[in-house]
Amino acid sequence: MSLAIVNGLDNTVERPGERAPLVLGDSTYHTITESVCKIAENPPSKAWIIGFLVSATLASWFGVCIAWLFYTGVGVWGNRSPVFWGWPIVNFVFWVGIGHAGTLISAILFIFRQDWRTSINRAAEAMTIFAVVCAGTFPGIHVGRAWLAFWLAPYPSLNLWMWPQFRSPLLWDVFAVSTYGTVSLLFWYMGMVPDLATFRDRSKNKWRRMAYGILSLGWSGSSRHWMRYEKAYALLAAFAAPLVLSVHTIVSFDFAVSQVPGWHTTIFPPYFVAGAIFSGFAMVLTLMVPARTIFSLEKLITIRHLENMCKVILATGSIVGLAYGTEFFIAWYGQVPAEMFAFTNRAFGPYWWAYWTMVTCNVISPQLFWVKKFRTTPWIIVLISIFVNIGMWFERFVIVVTSLSRDYLPSAWGYFSPTWVDWSMLVGSFGLFFTLFLLFCRFMPVINMAEVKATLAQQIHMTHGDDH
Amino acid sequence: MSEHVTKIKPADDPAFKLPTALGALSVPLCVGGVIALVIGWMLGCFAVDYRFGMSAYLTALIYCLTVALGSMFFVLIQFLTRAGWSVVVRRIAELLMMMVIPLAVLFVPILVSVWSGGTLYEWTNANFVEETGFDDGAWKAKTGYLNPQWFTIRAIIYLGIWIGLALYYFRGSSRQDETGERTITERLQARSGPALILLSLSMSFAMFDWVMSLAPTWFSTMFGVYLFAGSMLATHCAIAVASYVLQKNGALRDEVTVEHYHDLGKYIFGFVFFWTYISFSQYMLIWYANMPEETEWFWDRHTPGSIWVYVSLVLIFFHWMLPFAGTMSRHVRRNPKLVCFWGCYLLVMHFVDIYWIIMPEAEQGMGGIIGILASLLCVLGMVGLMGGLVLMKARQTGVVPARDPRLLESLQFHNI
Amino acid sequence: MAETNTNKRVHGIVAEYTSVDSLLKASRRIRDAGYKKIDAFTPFPVHGIDEALGIKPTVLPWIALAGGLTGTITALVMQIFMNTIDYPYIISGKPYLSLPAFMPVAFELTVLFASFGAFFGMWALNGLPRFSNPMFTDPRFDRATDDRFFLYIDAKDDRFDAAGVERLLGETGTEYINQVVADDSPTTIPKPLITIITIVIALSIIPALIVAKMRVTTSSQPRFHIFPDMDFSPAKDLQMVSTLFADGRSMRPDVPGTVARGQLNQDLDFMTGIDVEELSRIDLPRAQKLARAYSPSALLDDEPKTADKPMAAGKSDAVPDAIEEVKAPDAAASIPAETVPEPTKPATENPSNQPSLNAAEKSDSVDTAAPVVDNTPWLKRNPLVIDNEVLQQGQLQFNIYCAVCHGANGSGNGLVNRRAQKILATTWTPPSSMHDEAIYSDKYPDGKLFNTITNGVRKMPGYGAQIPVEDRWAIVAYVRALQRSQNASLDLVPADQRQQIQERKQAIDKALAEQAEQEKKKAAEAAAKKS
Repeated sequence: MSLAIVNGLDNTVERPGERAPLVLGDSTYHTITESVCKIAENPPSKAWIIGFLVSATLASWFGVCIAWLFYTGVGVWGNRSPVFWGWPIVNFVFWVGIGHAGTLISAILFIFRQDWRTSINRAAEAMTIFAVVCAGTFPGIHVGRAWLAFWLAPYPSLNLWMWPQFRSPLLWDVFAVSTYGTVSLLFWYMGMVPDLATFRDRSKNKWRRMAYGILSLGWSGSSRHWMRYEKAYALLAAFAAPLVLSVHTIVSFDFAVSQVPGWHTTIFPPYFVAGAIFSGFAMVLTLMVPARTIFSLEKLITIRHLENMCKVILATGSIVGLAYGTEFFIAWYGQVPAEMFAFTNRAFGPYWWAYWTMVTCNVISPQLFWVKKFRTTPWIIVLISIFVNIGMWFERFVIVVTSLSRDYLPSAWGYFSPTWVDWSMLVGSFGLFFTLFLLFCRFMPVINMAEVKATLAQQIHMTHGDDH
Repeated sequence: MSEHVTKIKPADDPAFKLPTALGALSVPLCVGGVIALVIGWMLGCFAVDYRFGMSAYLTALIYCLTVALGSMFFVLIQFLTRAGWSVVVRRIAELLMMMVIPLAVLFVPILVSVWSGGTLYEWTNANFVEETGFDDGAWKAKTGYLNPQWFTIRAIIYLGIWIGLALYYFRGSSRQDETGERTITERLQARSGPALILLSLSMSFAMFDWVMSLAPTWFSTMFGVYLFAGSMLATHCAIAVASYVLQKNGALRDEVTVEHYHDLGKYIFGFVFFWTYISFSQYMLIWYANMPEETEWFWDRHTPGSIWVYVSLVLIFFHWMLPFAGTMSRHVRRNPKLVCFWGCYLLVMHFVDIYWIIMPEAEQGMGGIIGILASLLCVLGMVGLMGGLVLMKARQTGVVPARDPRLLESLQFHNI
Repeated sequence: MAETNTNKRVHGIVAEYTSVDSLLKASRRIRDAGYKKIDAFTPFPVHGIDEALGIKPTVLPWIALAGGLTGTITALVMQIFMNTIDYPYIISGKPYLSLPAFMPVAFELTVLFASFGAFFGMWALNGLPRFSNPMFTDPRFDRATDDRFFLYIDAKDDRFDAAGVERLLGETGTEYINQVVADDSPTTIPKPLITIITIVIALSIIPALIVAKMRVTTSSQPRFHIFPDMDFSPAKDLQMVSTLFADGRSMRPDVPGTVARGQLNQDLDFMTGIDVEELSRIDLPRAQKLARAYSPSALLDDEPKTADKPMAAGKSDAVPDAIEEVKAPDAAASIPAETVPEPTKPATENPSNQPSLNAAEKSDSVDTAAPVVDNTPWLKRNPLVIDNEVLQQGQLQFNIYCAVCHGANGSGNGLVNRRAQKILATTWTPPSSMHDEAIYSDKYPDGKLFNTITNGVRKMPGYGAQIPVEDRWAIVAYVRALQRSQNASLDLVPADQRQQIQERKQAIDKALAEQAEQEKKKAAEAAAKKS
């Protein structure tokens, strides 16, 4: 068997006993370097510039809205009694969830030795960090006086004479999200060091060389370094995997430790985690499918990669569906009137439209991935991924808003309406996210070259047999 | 790249067969198991109280069932992910999964108890509302679900699903031993997705029905996941222990390597963590919200002075902390003897977990020395019986899927 | 091939390979030849190279474990100290030591510290960052991060001998062998970079300096608001314009036909301290005005839309029947509180008309300052039934509101007065002494005293808005009691309490005498020191 796999060959078929190639075409180590580096070295394409301008405009608008919020107060949002946790918290949970796929792809798939992660993990990790940036913004500005948010830190304050309250889930959130952001950043950066060294060694320009030189810490590729590096990477992966679990678990605690009907359910932790992975993978696909075409990376991000991600979406989508069902069942089984009402109200109350949008997008639309044709057609993948993202946003909306708008006290029931600031901030956070992501594509290695080369070496080793 | 296995032994190699020393144990195990089980059950029923005896029996049954269902999950997930590393130990899991068939038969006493108005499940009590003051309307709605008829129908459905899946996958896998067809693997892979969904649904609901409803007014959405976590942990332990015992007796000597123990060790470590995560989350949410309809379950296990407080502490220290620290190191995981030790240890701890879940509902404490003896005899008898039956099956089919297309990959498997 | 300048120090020799397999083969060969200080440089981690080069496993996991344990302990100690020991505060019914609630943060910090351990431990063990490396001098070494594999033998190796090593390497199928020489590129940091860094540092210090300066200096300027910080309340004050209502007024009149809580005023005498019946005999218009001012719907009549035209007769429907005969309102009566007291001498007794009696010396006593004879028929008697309870309430209120200026004993020497005297405030009008004869009930009837409390006099503001009517009357009663107490003889005290009072008096006299003596001593000492 030789490696001369014809370009465009279907590597989605894997006969038992053989392993399908993950790097396609007549790729060599050098072509991998070339195809990744040229994205950052060539002048930006028109599509990139337009995309950047649009998203940067939206991001600036986000900034303007935040300034307006600071100037005016949180009343600019639609958060009114009884729904005090409106869109800001919905967006927060949404973005944190998006972030999870990055760590999952990097860490958990690494632990499970899924080699197909190598082509997508870099972009996914970057996505994690940018999503965490977007996510962190919302609770930050939701505290009202954001300039005093440092009060959340446990420092000996001479003005306050008190300590933060560690029995509050909101403080756990602070620790969880900031730890998560930090560890993801370390993980992402560490993975990039060898690739930044490649960038450094290819730069023609002195300043560029110096910048990448500093970023790559003087990486030389020594085997001793690689050995410790791989160990550190494995360790970070091992830490990041439970960390992902814990972060969304703690986010779910924000809701589930309360007594609000519809929030207080013990299934919340695993169900939130599954939902987070679900939405994160959908976002990775939404980004990677167009990116692989624009940057012509089809040989590295193959249909097989996409198909595998679709399968993960299908699996997690089904878990989420089961969790919805279990919640309903237990609400009925428990026979607690408030709980039963909360769930009936979700599906048939004033927010029925949100609930059924959620179910359609999250549970029904991924079921299309049972069909291989849908799993392997890029535009369908993107379409379903976008549906999933919409659905997951609505899931958070449904949880936050339906439960708050009608809780134990019928005299305090209300109906939530977003304001223009709510809308702007949602759209603006997407702008921020895409701005950061496009900058990343422009200046950083979008694909983990070192790992893809290692995968290729493995592939060569397997196909050539044991010639030593 | 020191040792490289490049050839697979022929399918009839003794390394792939159950060692005769073990095969000879099957009948004595079965007989001894049945005797112990019957004595244990009778001791519980007549020396302590009927409900206690039935609970001890149910504990033993659920203990074995969690291992069987965990194994089924293990097998299905290997097919779903097209896993290569696990092929050498997959047959062990397949054999363990076949336990669901005898367990279905052993479930009959539970059904009999339910129909005969026994007190095992409180929802069979017609005077429940008068005795407890539970809301009448809510109780009517609940007993519309929890009543002998529906309980039986659902049990038949769950058991039917499990037996069907077990037979389908076991037959497919053992047919491949003879024919070596790749299409069988492809077929089993293709069906593993829906099969997993069926299994998780039925397992979750079975645990609601059979275990959670022991406390009929209590509910926790997480409960199915909680038992699932324990069952996956027990399964990996059982596989590790079984392959170690087989190796000691001459089978699988070259096939199951340190690398496989390393991986099993990692899973054991991972599931210790996962079990802790799930049980902590469940406890935390109920503790924090502090709502009476939910805290009652933990209150039974928390009441100061009650014996269950100590069992709870045992779980914290010896089901979580000790094995967590013990299996953390790579050196432990790469030592088959230690992996086997922790496997045995955690199988015991898994029993304590199930015991802690079920027995407090019998409201007899541990039932004194006789009660403890009865519980132990029940579980030892059940395990012995199951072990004997599994060995009997293994005698016919061997202990490795000898002609699986991924066997070579599994033999060559290396950890990073 | 080894054609580089030989003047430089040689660090070792490097050979280039094009595939993993040839690199591994060569590595084994070199290792077997007995070389110890060898290393390979590859674009990706090559499996099997550790064994081929004899690299030992790393201690990194232990560093990470240490980090993790530090994290757990830090988190638990921190939380227990903060929430259980130093700042115990019950929240949502949880115990001070809530271990389950402390778990999440403990877990997060464990992971965080362990990750730091793994990450920075890797830096430390690898000696990163290291920007100057002799390997980088090799012209082809740039491809070590692309697609080439390099094997390196260090000159420090015991068996090193340049020619021998080159020969040995030449046999391993390499096409390129080179000596690695010292890096002699300039070590100075480029000037522009230094400039930029300096400027950035300089600029970043400025805010810190500003903050530091603000912290140590005082300023008479109001606080500088970077953020609004809720310092500016959007709530309206009296007399402010509001955009919420069509009439633009932020003070809302009562809804027609309703009486606000505590505003049901029926007894005009009780409310004003004036015998209104008598007044209406003497001065009917004034009595009517008074009645109108105290009627609950008084404000209603002043609505701007009706203010600019004469009051229609029909409008008086809203006015209570007692004063139905009222005609068009006097324009001057726009604010009742100002018009009610002493209309006969508005310039003197009205607190809002200060300038006319600004001079302190002018107002030693009340009556001498009043230019016009007061003919108001004040109530002579306190309408309350005086008992111990009323007097105690009066004392309480007097001590709260009056004593700061008038002194607890009513002598007019309260804290505020003392302070004003001390700083010699030129605009200060000293408060009257309650023991001035002019304020005794024969010259200053109870009703008048009540009115003064309600509406103020000279510099004294009116307390009508703060003190309920009954309490004002109680204060009047208490003031009378104070006046009596100054001139009382011991005979007035019940017999059984005389002894007690005498003892107390002696004790106080003694203490005062001692105090005076001490002060004398102090003064003497001070004088001695000065001289």
